[in-house]
Amino acid sequence: MDGKKLLVQELLEKFENAIIEGDADASAEHAGAIVAQGEASADDIFARLSNAMEAVGNRYETGEYFIPEMLRSADAVERAMAVLEPYLFEQKAERSGVVVMGTVRGDIHNIGKNIIVSALRAAGYQVHDLGVNVSAAKFINKIKETDADLLLLSAFTTSTKPALLEILKALEDEGLRDKVKVVSGGASHSQEFASEVGVDGFATDVKSTLAICRKLMGNE
Amino acid sequence: MNSRERFLAVLAGEIPDMVPIVPVLDGYLAPKVIGRPNDECFLDGMCLAEALAAARERFGYDGAVAEMGLGPEPNVLGCPVEIEGNDVPLVVDTVVNSREDLERLAVPDPWAGGKMEPVVRLVEQGKTDAYAVLGSVRSPFEYAATVRGLVGFMTDFYRDPQMVRDLIEAVKPATLALARAFIESGVDALVLKDSFASSSMVSPDHYREFAFPAERDVIGDLAGEIPVILHICRNSMPIVADMARTGAAALEIDSPVDLAAARQAAGRDVVLKGNIDSVAVIEKGSVADVEAAVAAAMEAAKAEGGFILSTGDSIPVSAPLENIAALTEYGRKYGRY
Repeated sequence: MDGKKLLVQELLEKFENAIIEGDADASAEHAGAIVAQGEASADDIFARLSNAMEAVGNRYETGEYFIPEMLRSADAVERAMAVLEPYLFEQKAERSGVVVMGTVRGDIHNIGKNIIVSALRAAGYQVHDLGVNVSAAKFINKIKETDADLLLLSAFTTSTKPALLEILKALEDEGLRDKVKVVSGGASHSQEFASEVGVDGFATDVKSTLAICRKLMGNE
Repeated sequence: MNSRERFLAVLAGEIPDMVPIVPVLDGYLAPKVIGRPNDECFLDGMCLAEALAAARERFGYDGAVAEMGLGPEPNVLGCPVEIEGNDVPLVVDTVVNSREDLERLAVPDPWAGGKMEPVVRLVEQGKTDAYAVLGSVRSPFEYAATVRGLVGFMTDFYRDPQMVRDLIEAVKPATLALARAFIESGVDALVLKDSFASSSMVSPDHYREFAFPAERDVIGDLAGEIPVILHICRNSMPIVADMARTGAAALEIDSPVDLAAARQAAGRDVVLKGNIDSVAVIEKGSVADVEAAVAAAMEAAKAEGGFILSTGDSIPVSAPLENIAALTEYGRKYGRY
C-alpha cells in the first residue's frame, strides 16, 4: 500500500472510531482531514459510516451502549456529515433523485431517519424530510408537490405495518403508485416484511438504504 | 378479605388471604371493554373512568389504575397530543427547546376544567365495590423527557448534563402537583412511572445520576401521605437495588427481570408487583401461556408475602380479553396463602 492510500485508511479508521466513541469534535476533525487529503471515495466513506453505526448497534445489543450513547454517535455522524456533504456531493456519480422521507404515523423515532437523510443528501439526493409521525396525506401532498422519485418510509418496528399499508393504499388511490418507488426502512425490517407490505425495497442501515436507492434509480 | 383490604394488607407488610391482582390495565385497553375507541375516551375522562370500572368489574381483579394518561396528564405542561382510533396517544411536539423555555414551565392546576372528576368518580366506585384505586403520575425524569422530546433530552446527557438536571428540577413541581391531586381524590396508592429510566434505555450510571435522585425526592416528599409504587418497565435488574432505596412501598417489575433475583436485590422490605409479559403472554399468548406464567410468578415471589400479581407493563389494546380473564382466574388459583 503506498503512502497516500495508507494515510486515507488511517483517516477513515479514525473517522469510524470517532463515531463509534461518539466524539463529535473528533469526527468533524477527521472528516475535515479526509476532505483536505482528497483521496477517499464516497463509497469508502459510506462504508466506514455503515461500519461505525453497525458497531454502535452491536454495543447497544450487548448492553454496553444505551440510547444516550447511540444519540451521542448520531450527533458525531451529523457533525461529520456537515463537513463531508460538499465533498461527497462533488463526487456523486449517480443521477440525483428526489426523495420524500419521514417516519410513519404512530412512530416518533427519528435517530435513524436523520442519519439516512444526511447520508442521502451527501450522496446527491434532494431530500424532503417530513419529520416523524407523518400522515399518509402529508406524504401524498409532498410527493405531488415535488414530483418525487422515491418515497422512504422510516418505521422503527414492524408494528407500524398498518400505517405503511395505509400509505401504499393512498398512493394507489391517488394514481401515484407507478410514479414513485417506495422503500421502507428500520432495524427490524426484512424481505419477508417488505413483501407482505408491498413496498419496492427495504433497508436496515445506511449502506442498504444507499444501495436500494441506487438500484431503484437505475444506477446499479 | 375484600379486594381493597387485600391490596392494602400487602402494602402494610401483612400476608393477605391471597396474592392481590392489579394488572396494568389502563387507558390503552379499558375502552375496548365498553366498546369505545381509545380516542373517544382520550377526549372524555368520564368515558375512561367508566371503562376502567367496567374492566375491573368484568375481570374481578383487586385494583384499578386511574390512568390519567388519557386525560390531562400528557398535555398538562402544554405538550400537544394526538390520538386516532385505537392508536396509542402520541406527544407530537415538545415545549422545551432551549434553556430559556424552562422559565416558561408553569406548575399546572390538575383540577382545572374538571380534569380530576373522572378520578374522583372511579374512587367512589372503588369504595362502593371495595376495590383499590391507584393513581398514576410521571416521574420528573419521564416528564422532562416528554416536554423536551426523548431525543433532545437524552442527547443532553453528554452535550449538556446540567440542562438535564435543571429540566428535571423544573418539572418536579408538576409531578408533585399531580400526585397531590390524586391523593386529594382519595386513591389508595400512587404509581410513579419512570419508563425511560429503564436499563433498556439508559445506563445504570445515568439512572443513578439523573432519575434516581428525582424519584427519591418525590417519594420522600409524599412520605406519610400515600404509598408509592415505582414503575420501571423492561429491564430494571441492574437498578432494582437502587429502586428499593428510593423509599417506594412497591416496585413494579417487568417481564425481562427474574422475580426471585429482583427479590434478592431489593430485600424484603419492599413489595414486588409484576411481572407477567403484557405482550408475549397477555397479547400474543394463549390461556395456557397465561396459566404457566402466573404459576411461575407465584412460585418465584409469593412466599412470605410482599407480592402483587400484575402485568409488567400496560396491556396493549389488541390483547384478547380471555387472557385477562385467565390472569385473574389463575391468579386466584395459584395465589392462595
